Amino acid sequence: MGVRRLLAGLGCLLLVAACTGGGGSRSGPAVEVPGEIVVASGRDVTGKNGIREQLIDAWNRQQDKANTGYHARLVELPGSADEQRSQLLGALQSGSASYDVVNLDVTWVPEFAAARLVRALPASMIGGDVIKSVASTASWGGKVYAVPFNSDVGLLYYRRDWLARAGVQQTDLSRSPLTWSQLDALMSDVNDLDPKGYEKAWTTQLAGYEGRTVNAVEAFASAVDDFSLTGSDGHYDATVDELAQGVAELRRRTEGAYLLPDAVHSDEAASMGDFAAGRTAFLRHWPYAYRTLFQTFGEQQLGVAPLPGRAVLGGQNLAVTESSPRARKAAELIAYLTGKQSERCLLDAGFAATRTSAYRDDGLRCTTGTSSAPSASPTGERADSMPRDAAGRPKYARPILLPALRDAVQRPRTPLYGAFTQTFTAQLGALFGDSPPEDEKLAADLDTALRKALPD
Amino acid sequence: MSPFDPRGKANRALLVGVSEYDVRKPTPHGVPGDLPAVRHNLDRLKEVLPGGRVFGAHEVTVVRSPYQHDFQRALRTAAEEAEGLLLVYFAGHGAVPSAANELFLQMRGAEVYRGRQDSVFPGAEMFTTVLTMLHASRAERIVVVLDCCYAGNAAFIWEQFPDRRRVLLLMSVQANNRIDAGDDGTPTPFTKELAELLASEGELTFGGLSERLRDRMRAAGLRTVRGEEWEPLSRTEPQEDVLLSAPPKRVVAPPDTGSLDGRSGPHREESERPPGGRTRGRSPRLPRRFLRALGAWFGGLRVVSRIALVLLALATLGLGSYGLSALRTDGSSCAPPLELRVLTDPDLEPTVTAAADAYLTSGDNTDGDGCRRTGITVYSAGAADAVNALRRQTEVWKEPHDEDTNPQRDIGPQPDVWIPASPADVARVTAGQDTDNVARLEAAEQPLAYSPVVLAVPDDIAVEPLGERTGQPLAVLLKQLKARAEQSQVRRPDPEFADAALLATLGLYGTGTDPARAERQVAQAGPPSRTAADLLCALPDDTGVDSRTAALVPEFLLRTGVGCDRTTRAPRTAEYPDDVPGVEATFVRVRWDDADRDGGERDRAAARFHAWLSGDGGRAVFARDGFRSASHGRELLDARDVAHGVLRDPSPLTEAAGRQAMESALKRYRRANGPGRVLYLLDDSGSMSGLWDGPSGGPGLLKQSLGGLGGADEYGVWGVSGTGGKRPYEELLGFGPHSRKEAERAVDAATVRDAEADPHAALLAALDDMRGRGLDDDRPQLVVYITDDEDDTRLTDGNLDDVLARARSAKVPVTMVSLVSGGCDRGKPDARISDASGGRCLDADDDLGAGLTDEVARTGMGED
Repeated sequence: MGVRRLLAGLGCLLLVAACTGGGGSRSGPAVEVPGEIVVASGRDVTGKNGIREQLIDAWNRQQDKANTGYHARLVELPGSADEQRSQLLGALQSGSASYDVVNLDVTWVPEFAAARLVRALPASMIGGDVIKSVASTASWGGKVYAVPFNSDVGLLYYRRDWLARAGVQQTDLSRSPLTWSQLDALMSDVNDLDPKGYEKAWTTQLAGYEGRTVNAVEAFASAVDDFSLTGSDGHYDATVDELAQGVAELRRRTEGAYLLPDAVHSDEAASMGDFAAGRTAFLRHWPYAYRTLFQTFGEQQLGVAPLPGRAVLGGQNLAVTESSPRARKAAELIAYLTGKQSERCLLDAGFAATRTSAYRDDGLRCTTGTSSAPSASPTGERADSMPRDAAGRPKYARPILLPALRDAVQRPRTPLYGAFTQTFTAQLGALFGDSPPEDEKLAADLDTALRKALPD
Repeated sequence: MSPFDPRGKANRALLVGVSEYDVRKPTPHGVPGDLPAVRHNLDRLKEVLPGGRVFGAHEVTVVRSPYQHDFQRALRTAAEEAEGLLLVYFAGHGAVPSAANELFLQMRGAEVYRGRQDSVFPGAEMFTTVLTMLHASRAERIVVVLDCCYAGNAAFIWEQFPDRRRVLLLMSVQANNRIDAGDDGTPTPFTKELAELLASEGELTFGGLSERLRDRMRAAGLRTVRGEEWEPLSRTEPQEDVLLSAPPKRVVAPPDTGSLDGRSGPHREESERPPGGRTRGRSPRLPRRFLRALGAWFGGLRVVSRIALVLLALATLGLGSYGLSALRTDGSSCAPPLELRVLTDPDLEPTVTAAADAYLTSGDNTDGDGCRRTGITVYSAGAADAVNALRRQTEVWKEPHDEDTNPQRDIGPQPDVWIPASPADVARVTAGQDTDNVARLEAAEQPLAYSPVVLAVPDDIAVEPLGERTGQPLAVLLKQLKARAEQSQVRRPDPEFADAALLATLGLYGTGTDPARAERQVAQAGPPSRTAADLLCALPDDTGVDSRTAALVPEFLLRTGVGCDRTTRAPRTAEYPDDVPGVEATFVRVRWDDADRDGGERDRAAARFHAWLSGDGGRAVFARDGFRSASHGRELLDARDVAHGVLRDPSPLTEAAGRQAMESALKRYRRANGPGRVLYLLDDSGSMSGLWDGPSGGPGLLKQSLGGLGGADEYGVWGVSGTGGKRPYEELLGFGPHSRKEAERAVDAATVRDAEADPHAALLAALDDMRGRGLDDDRPQLVVYITDDEDDTRLTDGNLDDVLARARSAKVPVTMVSLVSGGCDRGKPDARISDASGGRCLDADDDLGAGLTDEVARTGMGED
């Protein structure tokens, strides 16, 4: 079995991990004393049956069986990402709580690495099976500091039934890449149809939080080729001209004609609620909406496709803390939680898996835990209402989700991401105010503010 | 041979100084005392090093009084980052054993144990270890400077070290000698000279520096503790030298000694001399019996109290702000800042967040490189929950052991700073704190800002004469309101959730009023609003209600609580009861046991934020949000622009709330209507198998909410599945009082059934059951239905109407807990049922654990 082979090979990998302080160091850790490995992770608010905890339980059963003396324990953090980050930073900097493994949002990896709160890991912990774009979220300064656990990417959800009623022939928008001008035309068609309860063509997350940053980066990256606000070392390196093009694209997407006005106050839950309630025909959202929306809609009503233009990559990566007294075993646990078997389980439960094999290898099945597989009880009551493919994966996973992840772009990578996103969100708020400034003016202000937030 | 020129390379200087020690004499095993002078060493070196243009300011890392682990971490980082020159400086106590060639650099946690044969030094770093760790660095040259007792003993170790070629060693004193740290207010004698030389004009190499240091020390005529002439030492391999400082010339003049590449400095000649010639021979190796274990910078105990005073002053002034953790592995110039976790009262959250945002980008939070010194995250939690967690749950907050009680998840991050809405909260915590608590509070004496709790009356039914708006108890104001407008109502937010509502409750209960009667005055259909701002924005949902409802809210909301999304509320006039204490935002530093990894830096960061909040910056934010001064006059901070309905000077305003008064009001509120009754309905149909396990699963959420129920409350649990002719539920826990353990066992034993659920039949049965129980009393009741909505197909049309009708008539609130996103969206059955019953609807987009626990806690009395 793949996992066993992986673990067998891990012993030598982890010896390398212990020596990342530099070749030949004699100050490596002494022999680890078996004991508890504490895993800190944000509360799973999206109802995936505690699949993460099930995987940890499965690892614990292995340890018990082998009588290793190790036991992993999950400590749940608040659902709010800001509070998770604050607790992880504050606790690891000060020592107010002890964690061995931390689950980091992809945008936090540079910060935790630069602050030396997490350890460098052997690069071999991320094999070729991990989707390339996803793997790139795990490194900083040329070293691997984390291993991708679950990914995320922006997707387009839409009402197939309304498109059909509006006379659109091909209502499967995932067949060929969609452009924003094609989407505009479809929005116009639905506008003309004006179904009952319908208000505007689309909605997304533009309230003053991370959702606005995500949507803006998607617009900016679509408008400017190879756009990135920061270089590989985290330095701010955008130009006012690039920013102006990005602002223009964001403005075009969010102008009044098609956007639900509430979108500028919406987060994930609000925008999903508006779409589910039939107020819009299109929705930009994450993969977890697939499971939820199919509780409301059937396959004839709901479609999903890659976003037109570029989509932002999200997700979370597991890292070993600098302060962990059981770093070797912690890395072993991470290897298990991010292995092929586990990733397939995560995919079945509704997460975006990080490994290609989870999407492509039909022989790979989730045998961990109790209920992530789409089994039906004899009464016919399903554990979830997601459409599944022949191999039991969510139906859209291989044809739509995997390509979307591969093409996704990252948000700026900088150890000062907190300052960046706060500034970016605040400055772009002007676009949704009463008297939005011109593109060039807003771009110049944004440039000035970002230079201050990310000083040379 | 030219000295090594590190300019333009990635260089690092790590300045480590231990001025404070945890264990000092006369405590057994203590070091002689603190070393205030060392603090100045670090300040001075940090100041002069960048001027030499070899190290950029961002390449200098200062580590103050670290523990051994932190020292190692900083050393490892510096070693990894340096590519050109790595300078490591240490000042602090040094000690040597009698039976080995070793020098111990004593870190903050150092202790001394004298054994029969030899002594041991826990908490100290062996110089051998330092050299070995440095060996791992890629740096081309490594300069080590030691300013401590027995520094010269490091020479022996260097000489035996295989990879000494790259390492140049400078020691403050010859071997086997202790030295005096000098005056508390200045750097130590050796470092004083060192810094002066580094600050001087002209290029300076290691060799030149060593030579000139020896000359200066000799000229000063200083002696070691044993009376020898004080003589700094240095060690290098032959021909090795390094450029340490090359400041730009201040005047245009020819260089002292020219060189073609312009690199070598005036001391080139010296650098070519063999090291032996400069050190005047090695100190003779003394018999080991002479090497004693007494690490002894002199200075002693007399300095301890002084250092405490200095620290206190620094904390108060918000000074002393060198970054501890400027650890950078990348090209970006700013290190990630220290993160402060700031917990506050829900009513205060918008203002404290605005203040933190302003502070983050202010000059006070920006260092010389334009980098942020501190990052801040502001969050809030229910006020009663926060008090309870700080009082009784700090141990599990620090280390949560089970899924059911986890403040890290349910309250939020472990706060470094807590800003409650009343100083009485601090007393409530400390008075009832468990002996095993692991968080200590230190409240600032003066609150940050003040806002009275007022009765905000719609203008149309407000009292006209100014005099009647002040100087009367709340009961009188309410009576007068009723007399003026019979249809008028009064609302108050949830007293468990925010302090302002609890303070209002003090006035509401007054002296001797029956809480149950008082509560009827503010009774409302459905759950109370959580915050005062929520209340003001919920009222306009029904314009008829808005125009005849007075609200008990803090005065500042008459200024900020005006703009509600999508609604305009009726303008209101404040009446100022004289028996309701006001909101007083109070800054409290929270220190967690063992959270000293970043030394005093966290204290200083908190002190800086406090100083800013108390100063002009913070005042401007509180002024904008309609607060008053917390000092005696209680004047409006923005006296020019007085909000509609607010009195400029409504004196007399009342004194601060008392601890016991608040505790007692909360207790009486919880008991106002007697113990509660809760009937849980847990969907255990087949589809729940995907939402069963873990703390976010159905049983996990149910168990977490049991914390809100006490021994006097009654409750039961039904497992809901079974359709057709079968009973729609199975009793998992019979109705009655239970211990939490007993209830948890029953829930743990529950399993998912191979059946569908009939929510229609189950809810009708539950509402009938509860209506029957509540016939003879007014005790609070609640039905909780935890479900994945899979069987909502049985809640359509007529079936749904049945349930809605029964929910309205039974007068038992139903909290619907939907484990899927969007379960409470407009028009969904869950939303309609909870709405009709006056209960709350929670779905997976909410924080389900905390939300359900709040609902249950409001129904139950809980434990005292």
